[in-house]
Amino acid sequence: MCNALEVTGLRKSYGSVQAVRDVSFTVRQGEIVALLGPNGAGKTTTLEILEGFRRRDGGVAEVLGLDPGERSTGRELRERTGLVLQDIAVEPYLTVRETIAREAGYYAAPRDVAEVISLVHLAGLERRKVRTLSGGQKRRLDLALGLIGNPELLFLDEPTTGFDPGARREAWQLVRGLSAAGTTILLTTHAMDEAQALADRVVVLSGGVVVAEGPPSAIGGRDAEQTRITFTLPDGYTAADLPLPAKTGPDRLVVAETSNPTPALYQLTDWAIRHGTVLAGLTVERPSLEDVYLRLTNSGAPAGAPERNPR
Amino acid sequence: MTAVTAPGRPVRRRSSLGLLAHQVGYEQLSFWRNPQSAIFTFIFPVVFVVIMGALFGGVGKSSYFGGVSALQYYVPTIAALSVLGSCYGQLAIALATRRQNGILKRARATPLPAWAYFGGLLAHCALVSVIDIALIVGAARLYGVPFPSDWAAIVLTLVLGAVSFCALGVAVASVISNAEAAPAVAQLILFPLMFISGTYLPIHSQTLNHVAGWLPVRPFNQALLGPFAHHTGPGWGNLGVLLAWGAVGAIVAIRRFRWNPRPE
Repeated sequence: MCNALEVTGLRKSYGSVQAVRDVSFTVRQGEIVALLGPNGAGKTTTLEILEGFRRRDGGVAEVLGLDPGERSTGRELRERTGLVLQDIAVEPYLTVRETIAREAGYYAAPRDVAEVISLVHLAGLERRKVRTLSGGQKRRLDLALGLIGNPELLFLDEPTTGFDPGARREAWQLVRGLSAAGTTILLTTHAMDEAQALADRVVVLSGGVVVAEGPPSAIGGRDAEQTRITFTLPDGYTAADLPLPAKTGPDRLVVAETSNPTPALYQLTDWAIRHGTVLAGLTVERPSLEDVYLRLTNSGAPAGAPERNPR
Repeated sequence: MTAVTAPGRPVRRRSSLGLLAHQVGYEQLSFWRNPQSAIFTFIFPVVFVVIMGALFGGVGKSSYFGGVSALQYYVPTIAALSVLGSCYGQLAIALATRRQNGILKRARATPLPAWAYFGGLLAHCALVSVIDIALIVGAARLYGVPFPSDWAAIVLTLVLGAVSFCALGVAVASVISNAEAAPAVAQLILFPLMFISGTYLPIHSQTLNHVAGWLPVRPFNQALLGPFAHHTGPGWGNLGVLLAWGAVGAIVAIRRFRWNPRPE
């Protein structure tokens, strides 16, 4: 498999502020990779360099084998990539169909307009003026504009912001379908469940550097971390009475961490039944992607430039 | 859920002319769909002629208006004004707004070449100018202002003026940073310039005329006044100054234009 995207030692400064200090990662063809990081981590700058909107100060960037900073191949690259930008940007007075048909005319080999309309679930709204659409519908129109050129590589910058839960699931399914059909996808998101649900791999940026990279299930040693069992300590007992080591927090909340949850749970429930009591609010959790992400980005490099309006 | 397919797509690269026609067509559709903006664009110059006709309709030839009637004087200056509005003003504001909304960035993300995008906009500015001038000349005819005879000189001047003021409009859009400031900045530059250039009142100060003669608006007014009112040519000096300003605008536009709302 060849790489659709290859980034090595990418650097970009705005004046004295280093927005991107050293970013390297690759995206294989057909893969879905999520770029995560707090505002100011360098996500948008990195994305804009790869999309050809911003010049890099140093490092190597290859997008579909082409240099995004090279003007002479810019048109070829734009023919082969699709973009969904962070902000909704559609002209208000055209209809849905007209907006998509206009964009289709820019490409040498676009997808079918009607097909794209049904892919993004805007069927039935073809003749509606864009200004009368809801925020979520406009965002789906944006998505349609990213797809109409039938891109090999799709950049999605926070694609489901403003979607209701149902629309998000549909958008995820669409993205998975595109990926299954061979489209490579690089997305940014602040929703960890989105990264968890979609991404084959996540790349976590903080302060302009990559602080972690890997599949969402294993990033930051997540797979090796301890399972956490919590419950309320029954009245009349102390933590010392429990059959395994545990810490007590406020409101008699007990937290037990274990790398081997099956016997630990058996010991606890067996103890409760033998003493004729219950473990109220019993919860078993693995650290979520969000927990790992917060740990990675807080203890990571110092916060860099503000993400937007670098000046 | 609809299955995503990757069908064997027919590859058909549009010709440059086809692409331009496509873009011009959609720019027009987008403009005419917004009736308020369309009506305002075309009513304004007609209202201007009607007001001037009401004020000065009975005023015959006078030395104050350079030996022609008041309306003969105002038809070419209002024509120039409408070209300024539809090329310079409209373009500066539209581009600044589209950049801020991300519409320019969105357009730049497609394979549409920059020249075709601008082609669509310039064609629109030209079309609005032509319609405005036809309306102005038509309305003035109702007040008895004769049609001009030397259309070749007028068309040459209008084309040159439209191109130059479009270039200046793009230049202004390139140097201002936000869309809210665009109308104010565009007007702040234009309004005093039109005043000292004789758009609203003939200027009899030699010094002012000399200074304004090197700025873009007065040469345009003068170049139109010749064939419209005096049965003379546009004056090659006037066209030269106009062209020079157009070149300055084009250089600034090419060097400074940004598609991205975030500065580099």
